[in-house]
Amino acid sequence: MTPSAPAPHVDVATPERVSLSLPVAGIGYRCLAWLVDASLLFFFWVALYFVITLLVSDVLGAFQALSGLVQTLLAVGLFATQWLYWTLAEVFFHGQTPGKRVLRIRVVREDGSPVGFFESAVRNLCRAVDFLPVLYATGCITMLLDRRHRRLGDLLAGTVLIREEAIDLDKYTQAPAVPSESERESAGVQRPLGAEDVELVLAFLSRAPGLEKDVRQRLGARLVDRVGAGLADEERAKVLQSPEATEAFLRTRARAAH
Amino acid sequence: MALPLPTFVSRRRPDWDALQALLTRQRSGRLHLEELRTLDTLYRRAAADLARAQTFYPGTDAHRFLNQLCGQAYGAIYQPPRERWASTRDFFRRDFPATLRREARFVGVSAGLLVLGLILGALVVLLEPRGAELLVPEGVRRYVAQGRMWTDDVLSVAPPNAVASGIATNNLTVTLFAFASGILLGVGPIFTMVNNGVLIGAVGALCFREGMAVGFLDFIAAHGPVELSIIAISGGAGLMVGQALIDPGELPRAQALQARGREAVKLVVGCAPFLAGIGVVEGFISPGSFFPTWTKVGLGLSLGALFWFYLLRSGRTDAGVTRVEVPEDSASSRLR
Repeated sequence: MTPSAPAPHVDVATPERVSLSLPVAGIGYRCLAWLVDASLLFFFWVALYFVITLLVSDVLGAFQALSGLVQTLLAVGLFATQWLYWTLAEVFFHGQTPGKRVLRIRVVREDGSPVGFFESAVRNLCRAVDFLPVLYATGCITMLLDRRHRRLGDLLAGTVLIREEAIDLDKYTQAPAVPSESERESAGVQRPLGAEDVELVLAFLSRAPGLEKDVRQRLGARLVDRVGAGLADEERAKVLQSPEATEAFLRTRARAAH
Repeated sequence: MALPLPTFVSRRRPDWDALQALLTRQRSGRLHLEELRTLDTLYRRAAADLARAQTFYPGTDAHRFLNQLCGQAYGAIYQPPRERWASTRDFFRRDFPATLRREARFVGVSAGLLVLGLILGALVVLLEPRGAELLVPEGVRRYVAQGRMWTDDVLSVAPPNAVASGIATNNLTVTLFAFASGILLGVGPIFTMVNNGVLIGAVGALCFREGMAVGFLDFIAAHGPVELSIIAISGGAGLMVGQALIDPGELPRAQALQARGREAVKLVVGCAPFLAGIGVVEGFISPGSFFPTWTKVGLGLSLGALFWFYLLRSGRTDAGVTRVEVPEDSASSRLR
């Protein structure tokens, strides 16, 4: 079962002589994560502004009354929040800013190990260049051109964003609905299924409750034909009577080797 | 003969779940030695399972799950030593000055570009009076025309002190941009350095022509030497990146970029505290006439001398150690 288009990934050779391939986060994930982070920062500043207006009545006047030094420190502080936010979050939360955490993506080095301070510092300093001329235009173009969707900062730092999927293993270990004796027999006598067919059947079973009735019936029938080649005609008719019977047969079939 | 997939999963799953739980606890940093050993064992088992899944169940969810699990465990087990606070001291005592001395030619070129810009800007304004209209920002020109320094008002309540903080943020932006734009084939730092040289040169020449040379010197003397050094250093860091892109040597371009980028960012990160310190000088001491000019000049020169003394001498005492470390360091970054 090969995917239609190979998804971009990072290959890592481990000392255990097993190669890992980590799926790379594309431009969509990255933009969404940035939006989450940017709105967090935005609301932080808005909240700060309101707190200050509660304490000081005339904010602009008060700001102008500040000495040049304090204004300078404020400007530096504003920049530092922008840069420190990203860098510290990535260093201390294992490559994840809050936005990346929400989207389940993570910054890692190209060999799959966690980012260190210098890598994170580089890729976040380069934000300034990737942002040029507006709204990450440079970064987005680089991401579109690069095979692993890296922006300039990632290229310079040698980092890449990987995606963590929520994979449900329950479908493999779920107890089958108690099959009738005849079904167990008919399924049991046949050869065990290959991994590909098992995957197909299980994917169908986990989605079946959400399908429309006739589609559910039709797909079930096709799967029965595929995995139950040895069924006699009457047995086949019995299995195809109702969606429930079909799925019960398929579930037993997928776990036939038990 | 391979087990059927569901059997395989249900038989091996307890180990995987245990590994996942340990990894979560490892992330939050609460792990006993005993658990650490278990983590190692479980990771090896999971790696073996992954190898099995790659052979017998490729493309299934179980395969993807194991892949991800092993990826996380691999990251946790084989992570390089983390930079901790103790190494910060080491960085400033040895690593940062040593890196600077090693890459001195880039800093030299960048400083040269800055000086070139200075001379160009000054020449244009001195030889062609209308050149100032082109090169000097309008706000500054208005002040100079009135025979005042634009910085006189910094400590007063008047609105123009936005100019001063504008200048300070500008220095920060210039420093960072000079480095980061190095990835644009080194064109960015060259432009930034020359551009800023021209700006400073033009303003200086304009003040000189209007008979305000002392006022200009008064403002720039205390922080100028260190600040221009920092800008030159970060420009040099940008040039390092650009050079790695244009001439990566024996490495593939991407690898050369990463190896050099890691070195270059050390220069920028190392400069950061000094930039903050000089910002205080610029905000407190430089503007106004509270301190006499000769104090400012003396302070500026001695700060500059101290800065360069630190950069050129620090960590020299154990130069032997550094010399051994350098090839090792570059070798390991090549392997990576």
